[in-house]
Amino acid sequence: MSAADTAVTPSASLAEFDRTTSRWGQLTMGAALLFSLAAPLYLVLSTDLGITGGMIWTAYLAVAAAFFVLWFVEPITYYPVLGPAAMYQAFMIGNIANKLLPSALVAQAAIGAKAGTKRGEFAALMAICGAAMVHVVSMLLFVGILGTWLVSIIPTDIVDVARLYIFPAIIGGVLVQLIVTMKQPRVTVIAVVVAVVVLFVLVPAVPALAKPATGVVVLITAVLAWFLRSRKATATPTTLVN
Amino acid sequence: METAPTPEGLSTDILAIANLPVLWILAIGVFGAIIVQSLIYMKAARKAGPAADISAEELRTSFRAGAIAAIGPSLAVVLVSIALLTLFGTPAVLVRIGLVGSAATESASASLAAGTMGATLGGADYTQAVFVVAFMAMSLSGAGWMLATLVLTPVLRRGDTKLRRVNPALMAIVPAAALIGAFASLGIAELGKTPVHILSVIVSAVTMGVCILLANRTSATWLREWGLGISIIVGLFAAYIAHTSGMAPTA
Repeated sequence: MSAADTAVTPSASLAEFDRTTSRWGQLTMGAALLFSLAAPLYLVLSTDLGITGGMIWTAYLAVAAAFFVLWFVEPITYYPVLGPAAMYQAFMIGNIANKLLPSALVAQAAIGAKAGTKRGEFAALMAICGAAMVHVVSMLLFVGILGTWLVSIIPTDIVDVARLYIFPAIIGGVLVQLIVTMKQPRVTVIAVVVAVVVLFVLVPAVPALAKPATGVVVLITAVLAWFLRSRKATATPTTLVN
Repeated sequence: METAPTPEGLSTDILAIANLPVLWILAIGVFGAIIVQSLIYMKAARKAGPAADISAEELRTSFRAGAIAAIGPSLAVVLVSIALLTLFGTPAVLVRIGLVGSAATESASASLAAGTMGATLGGADYTQAVFVVAFMAMSLSGAGWMLATLVLTPVLRRGDTKLRRVNPALMAIVPAAALIGAFASLGIAELGKTPVHILSVIVSAVTMGVCILLANRTSATWLREWGLGISIIVGLFAAYIAHTSGMAPTA
């Protein structure tokens, strides 16, 4: 009797946990999605800047051409590590590879829980909650409240230079970080060669390709990387941007 | 078909529209959603803890361990976010870096979007209209990850192994190629601009290389987290020296 009780109750309470986390995970993520789209949409609709639907679509297609593969691949890649509940947390907060996964691993090590077990799943979930709180507090405090002040105490000529060259200063570091963590030398060589050819040969010849240039590079790189791949080594899937 | 931006749209005073109160409210809404989610999850975990063979004490330990482990990476993200403030304004940075995106993906999206309007981020042609289109494109891009998660998680949970049975070689090569291709294209495109742009890219890249090398050689793993922040600062410092010493084209 009591043995049957303990056999039923845990699974019932775990089922309830799954129901609660998936329902509320979806609801909170949906809310965040709406808030995040409402912000730029508000600017489009409330200001008279002459922005057309065409401009937005063109911009969106350029971004989508570069990233749409990752929209699907990343959730599939991380699912086995994160489990359903933490998926909604991770893809809301982002910085999964460099922040959330390390946090989850540290927590599992701290209580001696193996990944893939329920204990491990719960430890990861709590760790991500902890990481989320640190994320929220640090962003709101240092960026939201103090950010403008921090920028204001920096001399204006430095701010101007920062504004002008922030993107090249980011992209150089990101590219090296990506190449080192990916460990795909063959793909890297293909990508660099394709990018140079497209940007410095193809685009000057066919100026119409200037806007979708990055999309073109992504497409050609993906196709070439696939057909020129090494047939011997079996690489492990690794993807991390968020 | 495309109409030109109105005179208002040509203003380069980004912060005038980037700091509108409505945007602040929406940004706080996003953080509210993250907080509410965590609170609900923690409550659910505490309730189901015994069934998962994990004690309340162990749940607390996990929370604390996760929080402490996140301090370094969070401050590194803060540093990058502050660097982006003059480009996008506080609410947009909070919403974009606070949700899904990383500094890398978000600024890449913004740069791509600005490019479609013939402008560069932060340049003289970076107008209010360009900012709004870039912000919209960043948000739609972030929405791609969130929508995919919303759709795929229940599918994967039902044990639909079809998605996981995708050819492993395909999963390894195509996403890596797409990612490296996208960032290589954006990085190399910067090399076609002014000498200061070229210098910023190279200095930032070299700095990151040194950080990674040092992190691998020594036990300074924190350099891995801070690498991007340090690279941006050093890259901007080099740009400042070059810009003020007249390497920039006279506008």
